[in-house]
Amino acid sequence: MKSLKHISVAFLIILISGLGTYYLKPNNPIMMTFHFLIVGFFIFNLIIRKSLSFKNYFTSQYNLFTTKVRSEKSYDIPKELMFEKIIEVINHSDFKLVESDKDKFEILAISTITFKSWGENLYISFETKGNETIMKFYSATLFQIYSWGKNEKNCTDLLNEIESSLTI
Amino acid sequence: MAIVVNLDVMLAKRKMKLKELSEKVGVSTVNLSILKQGKVKAIRFSTLDSICLALDCQPGDILEHIK
Repeated sequence: MKSLKHISVAFLIILISGLGTYYLKPNNPIMMTFHFLIVGFFIFNLIIRKSLSFKNYFTSQYNLFTTKVRSEKSYDIPKELMFEKIIEVINHSDFKLVESDKDKFEILAISTITFKSWGENLYISFETKGNETIMKFYSATLFQIYSWGKNEKNCTDLLNEIESSLTI
Repeated sequence: MAIVVNLDVMLAKRKMKLKELSEKVGVSTVNLSILKQGKVKAIRFSTLDSICLALDCQPGDILEHIK
């Protein structure tokens, strides 16, 4: 899957370079269509990002336009309590809480826009295994193939916030 | 863990709800629930002081070491 992604990136670069000569000409229909398609796709992603329903779309391995990182952490705290705790932690952090589903135990938070990225979607889900609650973090970019380490940073930052919040 | 948190016992003795203690101490109910279950990593002296003040008790009434 990763090689397919690299091939598609290479293809996109070649395509943009190849069409560069057309791009220099004003009102070129091919380039305008291409341009509008990219902008349209970006706006589409921007609109649907604020819903938990599109979690599978952003975190799917077949979505070549996003980069995602997955990590896990378990605590011996009940799931219900951990869910409330994470919401509290997110509200006190740099992340913005967008949606939370208490029935499915899922949380969606987004990170702020920086020079490196358009902000990432951070999906958190909870599972119970024995006495432990396993939290699964997915950090996915909005519309970029490389996250410049932002996905990993998001997961690390949130985990650090959780750890420090356990000192009351 | 060898340290047992007896916060629920003290709350019952003082006939106080967790929410009431949360408002008095200024610590969220979620954090107090986690403390009550003894799942916190650490407790600040300032938090312990506030809890003792609100419950009119000693730190030893809340925390107990079991061998």
